[in-house]
Amino acid sequence: MNPSFIALVVALPLLAAFLLPLVPKVLRRLVGPLVLLVVAALGMALWQASLSEPLVLAVGGFRPPLGIVFYVDSVAALFVLAVALVTLLLWPWGGDASENLDRKQSLTLVLAAACAGLTVSGDLFNVYVFYELAAVTSYGLAAGSRTAAAQVATFRYVILGSLGSLLALIGITLIYFRSGTLNLAHLADLAPQTLHDPLGLAAFFLILLGLGVKAELFLVNTWAPEVYATAEARVSALLAGLVSKLALLVVARLLVLVFPLPEAREALLVLGMLGMISGEFAAYRARDIKRMLAWSSIGQLGAAFIAFAIPGPAGVAAGLAIALHHLVVKPALFLLAERWGGSLARLAGAARRSPLGAALFALFALSLIGVPPLPGFWAKYLLLSGLAAQPDNLYLLAGLVVLVTTVVEAVYLFRVVGVMYGREAKGEDAGLTNTGSANTQPASALAGSGVFAALLLAAALAAPLLAAPLGRMATQMSDGAAYVARVLPSTATLSGAAQ
Amino acid sequence: MNALDLLLSLSALMLLAAFLFGQTRVYPWLAGILFTGQLVLLAGSDLPMAAGVGLEIFGQQVGWQLDGFGRYFALITIGAALASNVYMGGEWGERYQADGHSLRWLHAALAGNVLAMLLLLSSKDLIAFFIGWELTSWAGFLLMAQGGERALRAALRYVPYAMGGAMAVLGGLVLTLSWTGTLDLLELSRVMSTLGNGQLALLLALFAIGFSIKMGLLPFHLWQAPAYAEAAGPGTAFLGAISARMGLFALGILLVKLMTLSRVADLAFIDGLFTARDLLAWVAALTIVLPTFTALKQNDARYLLAWHGIGQGGYMLLGIVMGDATGSAGGLLHVFNYATYQAALVLAVFAVMHRTGTADLNSLGGLVTRMPLTFLVMLLGIIGLAGLPPMNGFVSKWLVYRSLMVEGRPLLFLMTVIGTLGTILSVYKLIHNTFLGQLRAEHEHIREAPWSMTVPMLALVILAFVTGVAPGLALSWVAEAQAALGLPVLAYTLGGIESPRGSLDMLWIVGVLFAGFGIGALLFYGAGGRSKRVHQLDNYAGGHFLSADVRYHYSDHFYAGLMHRIGPLYRGSFTWLESAVASATDLAASLMQAWYRQAVPALTLLVAAVLGLGWMVWR
Amino acid sequence: MMHILIELAVMPLVAFTIGMFMVLMMRKIAAKIQRRVGPPLLQPLYDIVKLYAKKTQSSHGLLHDIGIVMAVGGYIAAETMLPVPGMNGIADKAGLLTLAYVTMIPSLGLALGVGQCANPNGSIGIARALTAMLAYDIPFVVIIFGASWFYGSNNLIEVIAAQQAGGIASWGVTKMPLLAIAGLFTLYAMLGKQPFEIYVAPAEIATGPMVEMGGKHLGGLFVMQCFQLFTASAVYVSMFLGGGENWLFFILKLFAVVAIPMSMAFVFPRYRTEDVLAVVWRWPMVLGLAGVWLVMH
Repeated sequence: MNPSFIALVVALPLLAAFLLPLVPKVLRRLVGPLVLLVVAALGMALWQASLSEPLVLAVGGFRPPLGIVFYVDSVAALFVLAVALVTLLLWPWGGDASENLDRKQSLTLVLAAACAGLTVSGDLFNVYVFYELAAVTSYGLAAGSRTAAAQVATFRYVILGSLGSLLALIGITLIYFRSGTLNLAHLADLAPQTLHDPLGLAAFFLILLGLGVKAELFLVNTWAPEVYATAEARVSALLAGLVSKLALLVVARLLVLVFPLPEAREALLVLGMLGMISGEFAAYRARDIKRMLAWSSIGQLGAAFIAFAIPGPAGVAAGLAIALHHLVVKPALFLLAERWGGSLARLAGAARRSPLGAALFALFALSLIGVPPLPGFWAKYLLLSGLAAQPDNLYLLAGLVVLVTTVVEAVYLFRVVGVMYGREAKGEDAGLTNTGSANTQPASALAGSGVFAALLLAAALAAPLLAAPLGRMATQMSDGAAYVARVLPSTATLSGAAQ
Repeated sequence: MNALDLLLSLSALMLLAAFLFGQTRVYPWLAGILFTGQLVLLAGSDLPMAAGVGLEIFGQQVGWQLDGFGRYFALITIGAALASNVYMGGEWGERYQADGHSLRWLHAALAGNVLAMLLLLSSKDLIAFFIGWELTSWAGFLLMAQGGERALRAALRYVPYAMGGAMAVLGGLVLTLSWTGTLDLLELSRVMSTLGNGQLALLLALFAIGFSIKMGLLPFHLWQAPAYAEAAGPGTAFLGAISARMGLFALGILLVKLMTLSRVADLAFIDGLFTARDLLAWVAALTIVLPTFTALKQNDARYLLAWHGIGQGGYMLLGIVMGDATGSAGGLLHVFNYATYQAALVLAVFAVMHRTGTADLNSLGGLVTRMPLTFLVMLLGIIGLAGLPPMNGFVSKWLVYRSLMVEGRPLLFLMTVIGTLGTILSVYKLIHNTFLGQLRAEHEHIREAPWSMTVPMLALVILAFVTGVAPGLALSWVAEAQAALGLPVLAYTLGGIESPRGSLDMLWIVGVLFAGFGIGALLFYGAGGRSKRVHQLDNYAGGHFLSADVRYHYSDHFYAGLMHRIGPLYRGSFTWLESAVASATDLAASLMQAWYRQAVPALTLLVAAVLGLGWMVWR
Repeated sequence: MMHILIELAVMPLVAFTIGMFMVLMMRKIAAKIQRRVGPPLLQPLYDIVKLYAKKTQSSHGLLHDIGIVMAVGGYIAAETMLPVPGMNGIADKAGLLTLAYVTMIPSLGLALGVGQCANPNGSIGIARALTAMLAYDIPFVVIIFGASWFYGSNNLIEVIAAQQAGGIASWGVTKMPLLAIAGLFTLYAMLGKQPFEIYVAPAEIATGPMVEMGGKHLGGLFVMQCFQLFTASAVYVSMFLGGGENWLFFILKLFAVVAIPMSMAFVFPRYRTEDVLAVVWRWPMVLGLAGVWLVMH
């Protein structure tokens, strides 16, 4: 496969977003989905190709480390595919004023482009650019529901996001100051000499905090519950499901390539644990379903951070499994929750009004807490067996945290299931309960989460078959030397000769 | 396709069928045939039954194979499911549907439970085991949650327990993998006992806590009584009969097969005085006594039986922990025996509920004249539960007592007997308040339960009686289970055991007992004047005349004198503990929410950044 | 085979006869203490015949009758498990422990029969009786445990043989004095005489299991009492007093065992139910456990 196709996965959605207003009205609604389908097809093809060997594209023909490099290994390709598919499933189809819809569709396309860019970028500068792009579009999308609450929440998000970006930029500057390059492969090559010291770690920490804003990292995730609760379900699903994972992916790449140090892992581990504890416990007392899901999402990302903190392919495999599982489950749950806003008590008897919705919720809940043979179990199994294999007691503590918070998670998720399958509210409470069609899901949301559910069940059935590619992807991603060798063939041979 | 594949496919087929047409009249017949087929298949196959399919996932082999130990539990499982299925296939199911519940889901939950348990019982490695374990838990949840709001509440209370147990097991599983490098049960039975004491102790703690929760051992037993009691009738019977025993199955594998009891006895709290094995034995003994005396205080027949279910589990574990041929045979035999009479008792209570609409022990009475067959079932059932001859419950308890006597454990022995005596008191209250005493005016026209309900109940108590008279019939299965687990095998005879230190021959004992009854009957009916049947209101009432509106039935606060003495000992400590944990969780949750509600997140971010930088530099 | 069948038929008959005379002795002791003459020799038999032959026989239903049948039948069965001189019955097939549980069947039968009478006074009596059973059976099994541990068997034939092998010096009472004392105390409580007779409550008008019993039903209970006296004393004699070397000694020991508590009984007032529990769970329990400890160390 020709590596220049890689550029298309970023360029196409970006182009489409800017040209959208110019397209004739009749075709306008088709452009976005079509583009995303093309990107999905490209992602699929890239994934096939990159499983054997990663693809590298030097944009404009400048050889790295000078030019812009797009690097696609199987993980990146899979995430490109995921970006396209998830965006497609969460596509704003309508139900809004035309002008507003145009804006939303454009923003969504830009977001998709930025996300794709984040996955394939091979240097920190581009990472920063795409990250900013994703941030700005997500501010726009989050405020899109145009309620006062949403705007207040978004304002908080903007402040945290901008501060985060600033911190990340400082970190990147520090790295550039020390090593003189921003190309990841080059950095990987130079890091042992230039960056493995307190200053380098400080840079890593700043970038971690900065990117962590999107990745719902503990300390900088206080925006999440409010934004997810007030934004449209679709947008919450995109942010929680997709954008967070890509920020996570970048952190993981940095960790593997540039900072494979115990201190960096420790930071990830501790913050991940705190994220799990704070998220899951806060969700335990959540009084409405969207906040609950937001907190649960914080907890799940904490688990992913813990996973990536495990050294070697085992950690990457666990992290990928958790991230991908969450990528499927959380958007689906947000879609289901769209019409289930407000107090949890109003859900009483929802199972009667919307049996399919309630059943899907129960299914996703089961997978989220890791009930075998659903995929969530395998993700949890990989995470825990990875943690148990580490000699350091901090990893065992992390395992304990995962186990305990899972119990908490099961309790609050099944409390909701219990409410939905319980008796409908009577007497005074009846006024609170939405009657009739008010809290049944729209067909599109049901269809969307139905697709996610089908994916989940397919993954459950095919789990033995998925294990091998996952392992392959993890090996590919965790092999820093191969990355360097692939991007900078000459340097690698040089340093190889030097050793 | 070999026997185990066929068994599991049949079970899966049934689950599918239940989902598709569980609400129809055909389904119970089909299920009855399929369950019977499974029983025949199980009983007739050679051991071990290995599944043809297996899979490899993340480097672990996952496979299924049923040995004698698993088959013993599987037979009981399917038998209990068969009885429950027949019971709900008739009038009971129609009423259940008419009340607005879903019979389809109830059938599906039952079929799902059976499938999940079969998967668990035939697991060949810890991954397959954990899959079966979780499926059993959640299928159990589904069965508990059927039948109304109270059932759902009780089932939700089960969730944190079930999940806590599952996570403990999962933690044990990954540590096992990390320390031994294998998850295969056969392989583990070789290597696990070679681990160091510290590692073994941690594994024992994790696994044993997980398994105890399912079994309802102290102090993790609180969920069980409401969850089992509030479920829909046949569901309660099935859950009560076998569901919690999955925990015993797992403990058996862990303690005997994987770790070996002698290794467990190496883990000493006080050297030579109190070991982990003693701890397990004492937990079992306390599980016998405390829940039994909680049962004594219940005023709802379903709760009373459910609490006894928890207590009876203690005998089973105690027998296995004793580890000798007699004790372990007693413990294992008790699983079967208990299943037969407990299912019968629960079904009888629900038959009464079906006719009268209540299981409240203060609003029944005198039903023996209206529902004689149900009374007979309950009578034989309580004799079994109390562990008196001639029912099978006596035999299994006798084996446990004997083991404790021979092994010289006087205090444990005392606990088991206290449990038995408490049970006698409690079950007499059950039968007295339901069937004896004054018949209420509103129950004057009640009829016997329909055949669809009496037949399975009678079949169960007949089974309990026959295996009481000839325990050898059931002991053959037990011996097989002992052999599969690696326990010493009991030398048994058809009537019990033969031993110079005290034999038991139930054939003779029951023979003599019935001869005694015969002579007693001859004396009573043959000699003396003819007795005349009098009305229940033709009664001594201190000179007053009784009429139907006078409540002349002693039911409430039945053992007033006893409660006067032991009442202050009921402290509700476990309930307190449970609510303390819940409150602590709530508090932690509030604190965490406060973090997310903070007013100036940017400031926090900056502070965090500075602190983090400091930490990085300091490192 | 024929031999054992004859034994099975004879053993209950012997037990019943001895039991009747124990009732007589009991009444005689009471009479002596109260300075009365007391009943004639065959009074217990007359009582039974009278009750059976009464014209007015009222039954509260089938279970009322079956309860009595179980009460008598259970003891008839129990007698065949108690070795007497020259006859072992099926004692080798059912040990001491089995015997203890078989003797609970009559109590259950009585409880069922009384329950069927639909008289709350009867039910209250049964609740008290079962509580009393809970009280005395707990120390009783401790004693059984100690004895079985000491003799290494709970087969009564072997227990007796072990004691007779060495004369009085090897009797249970000399080897395990604490257990023997506890056993006597327990036996006393088991017999249900003053001060442990709250459940029968003879002095109160009608609060007790007997409230609806008359005619044959009461007669059956009378028979049951004969058996009960014999069984309790025979178990004690077998465990602690070397069983029966021959009939003379056996009967003497039996009567002595019953006579001791009876001589004390009639000078006592009565314990309330909770006090029965307190007393029985304290003294015989402490003695019994101490005895077991001694036996095991």
